[in-house]
Amino acid sequence: METKPRLLTTLDFVTIILLAVATTLVFFFTPIEAVMGNVQKVFYFHVANAWVGMLGFMASAIAGIAYLRTGKRSWDIVGMASVEISVVFLLIAIVTGSIWARPVWNTWWTWDPRLTTAAIMELIYAAYLLLRQGIEDPDRRARFGAVYAILGFISVPLTFLSIRIFRTIHPVVIGNSDPSAQGSFDMSSAMLRTFMFSLLVFSFIFADLLWHRIRLGHLADKVEQLKLKVTQ
Amino acid sequence: MKPDPTLTHAQAANPSMASSPPSPSFIRATAAIVWKDLAAELRSRELLSAMLVFALLVILIFNFAMELDAKARATITSGVLWVTFAFAGTLGLNRSMAMEKDRGCLDGLLLAPVDRSAIYFGKAIGNLVFMFIIEAIVLPVYSVLYNINLFQPGLLLVILLGSIGYVAIGTLLASMAVQTRTRDVLLPILLFPLVIPVLVAAVKGSNGFLQGLEISEIMPWLNLLIVYDVIFTAIAFMVFDYVVEE
Amino acid sequence: MLFLQQGPAQTTNYMIAGYTVIFGVILFYVLSLYLRHRNLKRDLDTLQELENKTNT
Repeated sequence: METKPRLLTTLDFVTIILLAVATTLVFFFTPIEAVMGNVQKVFYFHVANAWVGMLGFMASAIAGIAYLRTGKRSWDIVGMASVEISVVFLLIAIVTGSIWARPVWNTWWTWDPRLTTAAIMELIYAAYLLLRQGIEDPDRRARFGAVYAILGFISVPLTFLSIRIFRTIHPVVIGNSDPSAQGSFDMSSAMLRTFMFSLLVFSFIFADLLWHRIRLGHLADKVEQLKLKVTQ
Repeated sequence: MKPDPTLTHAQAANPSMASSPPSPSFIRATAAIVWKDLAAELRSRELLSAMLVFALLVILIFNFAMELDAKARATITSGVLWVTFAFAGTLGLNRSMAMEKDRGCLDGLLLAPVDRSAIYFGKAIGNLVFMFIIEAIVLPVYSVLYNINLFQPGLLLVILLGSIGYVAIGTLLASMAVQTRTRDVLLPILLFPLVIPVLVAAVKGSNGFLQGLEISEIMPWLNLLIVYDVIFTAIAFMVFDYVVEE
Repeated sequence: MLFLQQGPAQTTNYMIAGYTVIFGVILFYVLSLYLRHRNLKRDLDTLQELENKTNT
Protein backbone atom coordinates (compact mmCIF):
# COMPACT_ATOMS: atom_id res chain seq x y z
CA MET A 1 0.00 0.00 0.00
CA GLU A 2 2.86 2.31 -0.67
CA THR A 3 2.15 4.11 -3.88
CA LYS A 4 -0.83 6.40 -3.72
CA PRO A 5 -3.62 5.11 -5.92
CA ARG A 6 -4.50 7.41 -8.79
CA LEU A 7 -8.18 7.24 -7.80
CA LEU A 8 -7.31 8.75 -4.45
CA THR A 9 -5.45 11.64 -6.05
CA THR A 10 -8.46 12.24 -8.27
CA LEU A 11 -10.74 12.12 -5.24
CA ASP A 12 -8.51 14.66 -3.50
CA PHE A 13 -8.87 17.09 -6.38
CA VAL A 14 -12.59 16.56 -6.77
CA THR A 15 -13.14 17.06 -3.04
CA ILE A 16 -11.14 20.28 -2.94
CA ILE A 17 -12.99 21.66 -5.93
CA LEU A 18 -16.34 20.71 -4.46
CA LEU A 19 -15.44 22.42 -1.20
CA ALA A 20 -14.40 25.55 -3.07
CA VAL A 21 -17.67 25.55 -5.00
CA ALA A 22 -19.70 25.07 -1.84
CA THR A 23 -17.88 27.89 -0.08
CA THR A 24 -18.49 30.18 -3.03
CA LEU A 25 -22.17 29.28 -3.03
CA VAL A 26 -22.43 30.03 0.66
CA PHE A 27 -20.79 33.41 0.43
CA PHE A 28 -22.08 34.65 -2.91
CA PHE A 29 -25.10 32.70 -3.98
CA THR A 30 -27.19 32.44 -0.84
CA PRO A 31 -29.13 35.42 0.45
CA ILE A 32 -28.54 37.03 3.81
CA GLU A 33 -31.17 35.80 6.20
CA ALA A 34 -33.64 38.52 7.02
CA VAL A 35 -33.62 38.28 10.79
CA MET A 36 -30.37 36.84 12.07
CA GLY A 37 -28.04 38.13 9.38
CA ASN A 38 -24.85 36.54 8.22
CA VAL A 39 -24.39 34.10 11.05
CA GLN A 40 -27.08 31.94 9.48
CA LYS A 41 -24.59 31.01 6.76
CA VAL A 42 -22.68 28.97 9.29
CA PHE A 43 -25.65 26.64 9.24
CA TYR A 44 -24.81 25.13 5.84
CA PHE A 45 -21.51 23.64 6.89
CA HIS A 46 -22.56 23.17 10.51
CA VAL A 47 -25.21 20.60 9.62
CA ALA A 48 -22.93 18.97 7.06
CA ASN A 49 -20.29 18.48 9.75
CA ALA A 50 -22.81 16.98 12.14
CA TRP A 51 -23.88 14.68 9.35
CA VAL A 52 -20.30 13.47 8.89
CA GLY A 53 -20.07 12.90 12.63
CA MET A 54 -23.07 10.62 12.50
CA LEU A 55 -21.86 8.84 9.36
CA GLY A 56 -18.63 8.01 11.12
CA PHE A 57 -20.51 6.68 14.09
CA MET A 58 -22.43 4.29 11.91
CA ALA A 59 -19.32 3.32 9.98
CA SER A 60 -17.44 2.48 13.16
CA ALA A 61 -20.28 0.28 14.40
CA ILE A 62 -20.50 -1.57 11.10
CA ALA A 63 -16.72 -1.97 11.02
CA GLY A 64 -16.93 -3.25 14.58
CA ILE A 65 -19.43 -5.93 13.73
CA ALA A 66 -17.40 -6.86 10.67
CA TYR A 67 -14.23 -7.16 12.72
CA LEU A 68 -15.85 -9.39 15.33
CA ARG A 69 -17.20 -11.66 12.62
CA THR A 70 -14.16 -11.91 10.40
CA GLY A 71 -11.21 -11.03 12.62
CA LYS A 72 -9.65 -9.17 9.70
CA ARG A 73 -7.28 -6.39 10.72
CA SER A 74 -8.51 -4.04 7.95
CA TRP A 75 -11.88 -3.70 9.64
CA ASP A 76 -10.28 -2.49 12.81
CA ILE A 77 -8.34 0.12 10.85
CA VAL A 78 -11.58 1.29 9.21
CA GLY A 79 -13.26 1.52 12.60
CA MET A 80 -10.47 3.52 14.15
CA ALA A 81 -10.27 5.83 11.13
CA SER A 82 -14.02 6.52 11.22
CA VAL A 83 -13.95 7.41 14.88
CA GLU A 84 -10.96 9.69 14.54
CA ILE A 85 -12.45 11.63 11.63
CA SER A 86 -15.82 11.86 13.30
CA VAL A 87 -14.39 13.19 16.55
CA VAL A 88 -12.94 16.07 14.56
CA PHE A 89 -16.04 16.83 12.50
CA LEU A 90 -18.52 16.44 15.31
CA LEU A 91 -16.37 18.85 17.32
CA ILE A 92 -16.56 21.37 14.49
CA ALA A 93 -20.32 20.89 14.39
CA ILE A 94 -20.71 21.46 18.12
CA VAL A 95 -18.48 24.55 18.16
CA THR A 96 -20.08 26.13 15.10
CA GLY A 97 -23.48 25.35 16.54
CA SER A 98 -22.48 27.19 19.67
CA ILE A 99 -21.20 30.15 17.64
CA TRP A 100 -24.50 30.27 15.79
CA ALA A 101 -26.49 29.96 19.00
CA ARG A 102 -24.88 32.89 20.75
CA PRO A 103 -26.37 35.71 18.69
CA VAL A 104 -29.54 33.84 17.79
CA TRP A 105 -30.59 32.22 21.07
CA ASN A 106 -28.58 34.54 23.30
CA THR A 107 -26.79 31.63 24.90
CA TRP A 108 -23.74 29.54 24.05
CA TRP A 109 -25.45 26.29 24.98
CA THR A 110 -28.81 24.73 25.66
CA TRP A 111 -29.70 21.27 26.89
CA ASP A 112 -32.09 20.39 24.11
CA PRO A 113 -32.09 16.81 22.76
CA ARG A 114 -29.89 17.36 19.73
CA LEU A 115 -27.14 19.34 21.42
CA THR A 116 -27.10 17.09 24.45
CA THR A 117 -26.96 13.97 22.31
CA ALA A 118 -24.18 15.47 20.20
CA ALA A 119 -22.15 16.20 23.30
CA ILE A 120 -22.71 12.66 24.57
CA MET A 121 -21.69 11.22 21.20
CA GLU A 122 -18.47 13.19 21.35
CA LEU A 123 -17.84 11.82 24.84
CA ILE A 124 -18.46 8.28 23.60
CA TYR A 125 -15.87 8.85 20.87
CA ALA A 126 -13.43 10.17 23.44
CA ALA A 127 -14.06 7.13 25.63
CA TYR A 128 -13.42 4.89 22.63
CA LEU A 129 -10.05 6.54 22.04
CA LEU A 130 -9.13 6.31 25.72
CA LEU A 131 -10.12 2.66 25.78
CA ARG A 132 -7.85 1.86 22.86
CA GLN A 133 -4.99 3.83 24.35
CA GLY A 134 -5.08 1.66 27.45
CA ILE A 135 -4.56 -1.62 25.64
CA GLU A 136 -1.23 -2.96 24.40
CA ASP A 137 -2.28 -6.09 22.57
CA PRO A 138 -3.48 -5.09 19.07
CA ASP A 139 -6.01 -7.90 18.79
CA ARG A 140 -7.61 -7.12 22.13
CA ARG A 141 -7.55 -3.42 21.29
CA ALA A 142 -9.41 -4.15 18.08
CA ARG A 143 -11.97 -6.41 19.76
CA PHE A 144 -12.72 -4.01 22.60
CA GLY A 145 -12.89 -1.07 20.21
CA ALA A 146 -15.36 -2.99 18.06
CA VAL A 147 -17.55 -3.89 21.03
CA TYR A 148 -17.58 -0.34 22.39
CA ALA A 149 -18.34 1.14 18.98
CA ILE A 150 -21.35 -1.14 18.68
CA LEU A 151 -22.57 -0.38 22.20
CA GLY A 152 -22.10 3.33 21.66
CA PHE A 153 -23.94 3.36 18.37
CA ILE A 154 -26.97 1.58 19.81
CA SER A 155 -27.12 3.71 22.94
CA VAL A 156 -27.27 7.03 21.08
CA PRO A 157 -30.82 6.74 19.68
CA LEU A 158 -32.02 5.68 23.13
CA THR A 159 -30.25 8.67 24.66
CA PHE A 160 -31.82 11.01 22.14
CA LEU A 161 -35.23 9.49 22.78
CA SER A 162 -34.90 9.80 26.54
CA ILE A 163 -34.05 13.49 26.34
CA ARG A 164 -36.78 14.07 23.77
CA ILE A 165 -39.42 12.61 26.08
CA PHE A 166 -37.91 14.66 28.87
CA ARG A 167 -38.55 17.78 26.85
CA THR A 168 -42.08 17.01 25.72
CA ILE A 169 -43.38 16.10 29.14
CA HIS A 170 -41.57 18.92 30.85
CA PRO A 171 -41.51 21.93 28.59
CA VAL A 172 -39.10 24.68 29.48
CA VAL A 173 -40.85 26.73 32.12
CA ILE A 174 -38.13 29.27 32.68
CA GLY A 175 -37.73 31.51 29.66
CA ASN A 176 -40.25 32.42 27.05
CA SER A 177 -40.35 29.28 24.99
CA ASP A 178 -38.23 26.48 23.63
CA PRO A 179 -35.15 28.31 22.35
CA SER A 180 -34.95 26.18 19.27
CA ALA A 181 -38.25 27.65 18.16
CA GLN A 182 -36.61 31.01 17.87
CA GLY A 183 -34.04 31.23 15.17
CA SER A 184 -35.76 28.85 12.82
CA PHE A 185 -36.11 30.10 9.28
CA ASP A 186 -37.70 29.05 6.06
CA MET A 187 -35.24 28.09 3.41
CA SER A 188 -35.48 29.72 0.04
CA SER A 189 -34.61 27.52 -2.91
CA ALA A 190 -31.07 28.95 -3.11
CA MET A 191 -30.57 28.11 0.53
CA LEU A 192 -31.99 24.63 0.14
CA ARG A 193 -29.82 23.79 -2.83
CA THR A 194 -26.70 25.08 -1.10
CA PHE A 195 -27.64 23.11 1.96
CA MET A 196 -28.04 19.85 0.06
CA PHE A 197 -24.88 20.52 -1.89
CA SER A 198 -22.94 21.08 1.35
CA LEU A 199 -24.14 17.73 2.63
CA LEU A 200 -22.83 16.14 -0.55
CA VAL A 201 -19.50 17.93 -0.33
CA PHE A 202 -18.89 16.88 3.23
CA SER A 203 -19.77 13.30 2.41
CA PHE A 204 -16.99 13.50 -0.16
CA ILE A 205 -14.66 15.00 2.43
CA PHE A 206 -15.50 12.16 4.80
CA ALA A 207 -14.79 9.52 2.16
CA ASP A 208 -11.56 11.19 1.10
CA LEU A 209 -10.19 11.64 4.60
CA LEU A 210 -11.33 8.12 5.54
CA TRP A 211 -9.37 6.63 2.68
CA HIS A 212 -6.26 8.62 3.66
CA ARG A 213 -6.62 7.65 7.30
CA ILE A 214 -7.07 3.98 6.43
CA ARG A 215 -3.89 4.07 4.35
CA LEU A 216 -2.15 5.65 7.30
CA GLY A 217 -3.38 2.85 9.52
CA HIS A 218 -2.04 0.17 7.20
CA LEU A 219 1.27 1.99 6.96
CA ALA A 220 1.50 2.15 10.75
CA ASP A 221 0.83 -1.59 10.94
CA LYS A 222 3.58 -2.26 8.43
CA VAL A 223 6.06 -0.16 10.39
CA GLU A 224 5.13 -1.99 13.61
CA GLN A 225 5.63 -5.39 12.02
CA LEU A 226 8.94 -4.39 10.52
CA LYS A 227 10.05 -2.95 13.84
CA LEU A 228 9.39 -6.25 15.55
CA LYS A 229 11.20 -8.15 12.83
CA VAL A 230 14.29 -5.99 12.80
CA THR A 231 14.70 -5.68 16.55
CA GLN A 232 14.66 -9.42 17.11
CA MET B 1 -34.00 -14.00 18.65
CA LYS B 2 -31.78 -16.51 16.91
CA PRO B 3 -28.10 -15.64 17.30
CA ASP B 4 -26.02 -16.43 14.25
CA PRO B 5 -24.31 -19.76 14.97
CA THR B 6 -21.02 -18.43 13.61
CA LEU B 7 -21.06 -15.44 15.90
CA THR B 8 -19.67 -17.09 19.01
CA HIS B 9 -17.48 -20.11 18.99
CA ALA B 10 -19.02 -21.14 22.27
CA GLN B 11 -22.32 -21.48 20.56
CA ALA B 12 -20.72 -23.41 17.73
CA ALA B 13 -19.32 -25.81 20.27
CA ASN B 14 -22.73 -26.16 21.80
CA PRO B 15 -25.10 -26.28 18.84
CA SER B 16 -28.04 -26.78 21.13
CA MET B 17 -27.42 -23.30 22.50
CA ALA B 18 -28.31 -21.65 19.23
CA SER B 19 -32.05 -21.95 19.43
CA SER B 20 -33.19 -23.84 22.51
CA PRO B 21 -33.85 -22.58 26.04
CA PRO B 22 -30.78 -22.47 28.31
CA SER B 23 -29.66 -25.98 29.17
CA PRO B 24 -29.60 -27.04 32.81
CA SER B 25 -25.80 -26.87 32.87
CA PHE B 26 -25.99 -23.22 31.80
CA ILE B 27 -28.32 -22.38 34.63
CA ARG B 28 -26.27 -24.38 37.05
CA ALA B 29 -23.08 -22.67 35.94
CA THR B 30 -24.66 -19.26 36.28
CA ALA B 31 -26.02 -20.10 39.70
CA ALA B 32 -22.63 -21.43 40.77
CA ILE B 33 -20.94 -18.18 39.84
CA VAL B 34 -23.56 -16.10 41.63
CA TRP B 35 -23.25 -18.28 44.68
CA LYS B 36 -19.45 -18.08 44.60
CA ASP B 37 -19.56 -14.29 44.60
CA LEU B 38 -22.17 -14.09 47.32
CA ALA B 39 -20.41 -16.59 49.54
CA ALA B 40 -17.06 -14.89 49.11
CA GLU B 41 -18.61 -11.56 49.89
CA LEU B 42 -20.41 -12.91 52.92
CA ARG B 43 -17.11 -13.99 54.36
CA SER B 44 -15.04 -10.92 53.65
CA ARG B 45 -17.67 -8.22 53.24
CA GLU B 46 -15.07 -5.92 51.70
CA LEU B 47 -17.08 -5.08 48.63
CA LEU B 48 -20.33 -4.32 50.37
CA SER B 49 -18.80 -2.26 53.14
CA ALA B 50 -16.91 -0.16 50.61
CA MET B 51 -20.02 0.42 48.51
CA LEU B 52 -22.12 1.17 51.56
CA VAL B 53 -19.79 3.65 53.18
CA PHE B 54 -19.32 5.33 49.85
CA ALA B 55 -23.06 5.62 49.26
CA LEU B 56 -23.67 7.12 52.68
CA LEU B 57 -20.84 9.59 52.16
CA VAL B 58 -22.36 10.67 48.86
CA ILE B 59 -25.67 11.35 50.56
CA LEU B 60 -23.85 13.31 53.23
CA ILE B 61 -22.00 15.39 50.67
CA PHE B 62 -25.21 16.16 48.84
CA ASN B 63 -26.67 17.42 52.06
CA PHE B 64 -23.96 20.02 52.37
CA ALA B 65 -23.52 20.71 48.67
CA MET B 66 -27.16 21.60 48.30
CA GLU B 67 -28.71 23.35 51.26
CA LEU B 68 -32.36 22.92 50.61
CA ASP B 69 -35.63 23.34 52.36
CA ALA B 70 -38.00 20.41 52.57
CA LYS B 71 -39.95 21.48 49.50
CA ALA B 72 -36.95 21.74 47.17
CA ARG B 73 -35.65 18.45 48.45
CA ALA B 74 -38.74 16.68 47.28
CA THR B 75 -37.90 17.51 43.68
CA ILE B 76 -34.28 16.47 43.76
CA THR B 77 -34.55 13.28 45.79
CA SER B 78 -34.67 11.13 42.67
CA GLY B 79 -31.58 12.80 41.28
CA VAL B 80 -29.61 12.39 44.49
CA LEU B 81 -30.64 8.76 44.82
CA TRP B 82 -29.61 7.85 41.31
CA VAL B 83 -26.32 9.69 41.42
CA THR B 84 -25.60 7.78 44.60
CA PHE B 85 -26.52 4.46 43.00
CA ALA B 86 -24.54 5.22 39.87
CA PHE B 87 -21.35 6.03 41.73
CA ALA B 88 -21.61 3.26 44.30
CA GLY B 89 -22.48 0.91 41.48
CA THR B 90 -19.29 1.81 39.66
CA LEU B 91 -17.34 0.89 42.75
CA GLY B 92 -19.07 -2.47 42.95
CA LEU B 93 -18.59 -3.27 39.29
CA ASN B 94 -14.92 -2.43 39.38
CA ARG B 95 -14.11 -4.42 42.49
CA SER B 96 -16.19 -7.37 41.44
CA MET B 97 -14.31 -7.76 38.17
CA ALA B 98 -10.93 -6.83 39.62
CA MET B 99 -11.23 -9.63 42.15
CA GLU B 100 -11.70 -12.12 39.34
CA LYS B 101 -8.73 -10.84 37.43
CA ASP B 102 -6.38 -10.49 40.38
CA ARG B 103 -7.04 -13.84 41.92
CA GLY B 104 -6.84 -15.55 38.57
CA CYS B 105 -10.40 -16.74 38.94
CA LEU B 106 -11.29 -15.45 35.50
CA ASP B 107 -8.84 -17.75 33.79
CA GLY B 108 -10.11 -20.65 35.82
CA LEU B 109 -13.67 -19.87 34.85
CA LEU B 110 -12.71 -19.60 31.21
CA LEU B 111 -11.12 -23.04 31.28
CA ALA B 112 -14.27 -24.58 32.65
CA PRO B 113 -16.41 -26.41 30.05
CA VAL B 114 -19.21 -23.90 30.36
CA ASP B 115 -20.76 -21.40 27.98
CA ARG B 116 -18.96 -18.07 28.39
CA SER B 117 -22.26 -16.24 28.63
CA ALA B 118 -22.92 -18.09 31.87
CA ILE B 119 -19.99 -16.20 33.29
CA TYR B 120 -21.55 -12.96 32.14
CA PHE B 121 -24.94 -13.76 33.62
CA GLY B 122 -23.39 -15.03 36.81
CA LYS B 123 -21.33 -11.90 37.32
CA ALA B 124 -24.19 -9.65 36.28
CA ILE B 125 -26.65 -11.25 38.67
CA GLY B 126 -24.04 -11.10 41.42
CA ASN B 127 -23.49 -7.40 40.74
CA LEU B 128 -27.23 -6.86 40.69
CA VAL B 129 -27.65 -8.52 44.06
CA PHE B 130 -24.95 -6.28 45.51
CA MET B 131 -26.65 -3.21 44.09
CA PHE B 132 -29.95 -4.31 45.61
CA ILE B 133 -28.33 -4.73 48.98
CA ILE B 134 -26.88 -1.24 48.82
CA GLU B 135 -30.18 0.20 47.65
CA ALA B 136 -31.97 -1.65 50.41
CA ILE B 137 -29.82 0.15 52.94
CA VAL B 138 -29.67 3.56 51.30
CA LEU B 139 -33.44 3.86 50.92
CA PRO B 140 -34.34 3.63 54.60
CA VAL B 141 -31.39 5.84 55.55
CA TYR B 142 -32.49 8.51 53.12
CA SER B 143 -36.11 8.16 54.17
CA VAL B 144 -35.19 8.72 57.77
CA LEU B 145 -32.76 11.56 57.16
CA TYR B 146 -35.13 13.50 54.94
CA ASN B 147 -38.50 12.40 56.17
CA ILE B 148 -39.70 11.03 52.85
CA ASN B 149 -41.34 7.66 52.44
CA LEU B 150 -39.34 5.95 49.75
CA PHE B 151 -40.94 2.55 50.05
CA GLN B 152 -43.52 2.91 47.36
CA PRO B 153 -44.03 0.01 44.92
CA GLY B 154 -43.71 2.29 41.89
CA LEU B 155 -40.39 3.65 43.02
CA LEU B 156 -39.13 0.18 43.83
CA LEU B 157 -40.09 -0.94 40.35
CA VAL B 158 -38.10 1.89 38.78
CA ILE B 159 -35.12 1.05 40.97
CA LEU B 160 -35.38 -2.58 39.88
CA LEU B 161 -35.50 -1.78 36.17
CA GLY B 162 -32.84 0.90 36.39
CA SER B 163 -30.45 -1.32 38.31
CA ILE B 164 -30.88 -4.12 35.79
CA GLY B 165 -29.98 -1.83 32.89
CA TYR B 166 -27.06 -0.35 34.74
CA VAL B 167 -25.65 -3.71 35.73
CA ALA B 168 -26.27 -5.31 32.32
CA ILE B 169 -24.03 -2.91 30.50
CA GLY B 170 -21.81 -2.20 33.50
CA THR B 171 -20.74 -5.82 33.87
CA LEU B 172 -19.76 -6.01 30.21
CA LEU B 173 -17.81 -2.76 30.32
CA ALA B 174 -16.15 -3.68 33.61
CA SER B 175 -14.92 -6.90 32.03
CA MET B 176 -13.24 -4.78 29.39
CA ALA B 177 -11.96 -2.06 31.67
CA VAL B 178 -10.31 -4.49 34.05
CA GLN B 179 -8.14 -5.80 31.21
CA THR B 180 -6.70 -2.40 30.35
CA ARG B 181 -3.84 -0.45 31.85
CA THR B 182 -6.07 2.31 33.17
CA ARG B 183 -8.56 -0.06 34.83
CA ASP B 184 -10.66 1.61 37.55
CA VAL B 185 -10.44 5.05 36.03
CA LEU B 186 -11.71 3.84 32.68
CA LEU B 187 -14.96 2.25 33.78
CA PRO B 188 -16.88 5.45 34.59
CA ILE B 189 -15.60 7.01 31.36
CA LEU B 190 -16.88 4.07 29.34
CA LEU B 191 -20.06 3.59 31.31
CA PHE B 192 -21.64 6.95 31.96
CA PRO B 193 -22.18 8.13 28.39
CA LEU B 194 -23.83 4.83 27.50
CA VAL B 195 -26.00 4.63 30.58
CA ILE B 196 -27.60 8.05 30.26
CA PRO B 197 -30.95 6.73 28.98
CA VAL B 198 -31.19 4.63 32.14
CA LEU B 199 -30.35 7.54 34.40
CA VAL B 200 -32.75 9.94 32.69
CA ALA B 201 -35.59 7.42 32.67
CA ALA B 202 -34.90 6.25 36.22
CA VAL B 203 -34.76 9.75 37.65
CA LYS B 204 -37.88 10.90 35.83
CA GLY B 205 -39.69 7.68 36.66
CA SER B 206 -38.72 7.83 40.33
CA ASN B 207 -39.71 11.45 40.46
CA GLY B 208 -43.03 10.65 38.84
CA PHE B 209 -43.91 8.13 41.49
CA LEU B 210 -42.70 10.31 44.33
CA GLN B 211 -44.69 13.29 43.12
CA GLY B 212 -47.72 11.11 42.57
CA LEU B 213 -48.08 11.78 38.87
CA GLU B 214 -50.53 9.94 36.61
CA ILE B 215 -49.34 6.52 35.59
CA SER B 216 -49.78 7.48 31.95
CA GLU B 217 -47.12 10.13 32.37
CA ILE B 218 -44.69 7.67 33.92
CA MET B 219 -45.25 4.88 31.40
CA PRO B 220 -42.88 6.28 28.75
CA TRP B 221 -40.06 6.13 31.27
CA LEU B 222 -40.86 2.59 32.32
CA ASN B 223 -41.06 1.55 28.69
CA LEU B 224 -37.73 3.13 27.94
CA LEU B 225 -36.14 1.30 30.86
CA ILE B 226 -37.55 -2.03 29.75
CA VAL B 227 -36.42 -1.48 26.16
CA TYR B 228 -32.95 -0.53 27.30
CA ASP B 229 -32.70 -3.52 29.62
CA VAL B 230 -33.76 -5.97 26.94
CA ILE B 231 -31.55 -4.53 24.20
CA PHE B 232 -28.38 -4.28 26.23
CA THR B 233 -28.73 -7.59 28.02
CA ALA B 234 -29.15 -9.22 24.61
CA ILE B 235 -26.14 -7.43 23.14
CA ALA B 236 -23.98 -8.21 26.17
CA PHE B 237 -24.97 -11.86 25.86
CA MET B 238 -23.93 -11.90 22.19
CA VAL B 239 -20.72 -9.99 22.61
CA PHE B 240 -19.29 -11.20 25.92
CA ASP B 241 -17.28 -13.98 24.32
CA TYR B 242 -15.21 -11.48 22.39
CA VAL B 243 -14.42 -9.59 25.53
CA VAL B 244 -12.95 -12.46 27.50
CA GLU B 245 -11.25 -14.56 24.87
CA GLU B 246 -7.54 -14.77 25.29
CA MET C 1 -31.15 42.71 20.07
CA LEU C 2 -32.09 40.48 17.22
CA PHE C 3 -35.08 42.34 15.84
CA LEU C 4 -33.61 45.51 14.40
CA GLN C 5 -35.84 47.84 12.47
CA GLN C 6 -33.28 48.44 9.79
CA GLY C 7 -32.66 45.00 8.24
CA PRO C 8 -30.97 41.84 9.49
CA ALA C 9 -28.79 41.70 12.60
CA GLN C 10 -25.09 42.45 12.32
CA THR C 11 -23.77 38.98 12.94
CA THR C 12 -21.00 38.90 10.37
CA ASN C 13 -18.35 38.50 13.05
CA TYR C 14 -19.96 35.31 14.22
CA MET C 15 -20.04 34.01 10.69
CA ILE C 16 -16.34 34.70 10.30
CA ALA C 17 -15.63 32.99 13.61
CA GLY C 18 -17.63 30.00 12.49
CA TYR C 19 -15.87 29.60 9.19
CA THR C 20 -12.49 30.13 10.77
CA VAL C 21 -13.24 27.21 13.05
CA ILE C 22 -14.43 25.03 10.19
CA PHE C 23 -11.48 25.60 7.89
CA GLY C 24 -8.97 25.92 10.69
CA VAL C 25 -9.82 22.58 12.24
CA ILE C 26 -10.04 20.79 8.89
CA LEU C 27 -6.64 22.16 7.90
CA PHE C 28 -5.25 21.18 11.26
CA TYR C 29 -6.48 17.61 10.85
CA VAL C 30 -5.25 17.29 7.28
CA LEU C 31 -1.87 18.61 8.41
CA SER C 32 -1.81 16.04 11.22
CA LEU C 33 -2.53 13.28 8.72
CA TYR C 34 0.22 14.51 6.45
CA LEU C 35 2.81 14.78 9.23
CA ARG C 36 1.98 11.35 10.61
CA HIS C 37 2.24 9.88 7.14
CA ARG C 38 5.59 11.51 6.52
CA ASN C 39 7.01 10.31 9.84
CA LEU C 40 5.84 6.77 9.27
CA LYS C 41 7.29 6.80 5.75
CA ARG C 42 10.64 7.84 7.20
CA ASP C 43 10.44 5.12 9.83
CA LEU C 44 9.62 2.59 7.15
CA ASP C 45 12.59 3.61 5.01
CA THR C 46 14.94 3.47 7.99
CA LEU C 47 13.66 0.08 9.01
CA GLN C 48 13.90 -1.29 5.49
CA GLU C 49 17.51 -0.15 5.31
CA LEU C 50 18.20 -1.86 8.61
CA GLU C 51 16.56 -5.01 7.38
CA ASN C 52 18.64 -5.04 4.22
CA LYS C 53 21.78 -4.55 6.25
CA THR C 54 20.99 -7.43 8.57
CA ASN C 55 20.17 -9.64 5.59
CA THR C 56 23.39 -9.03 3.66
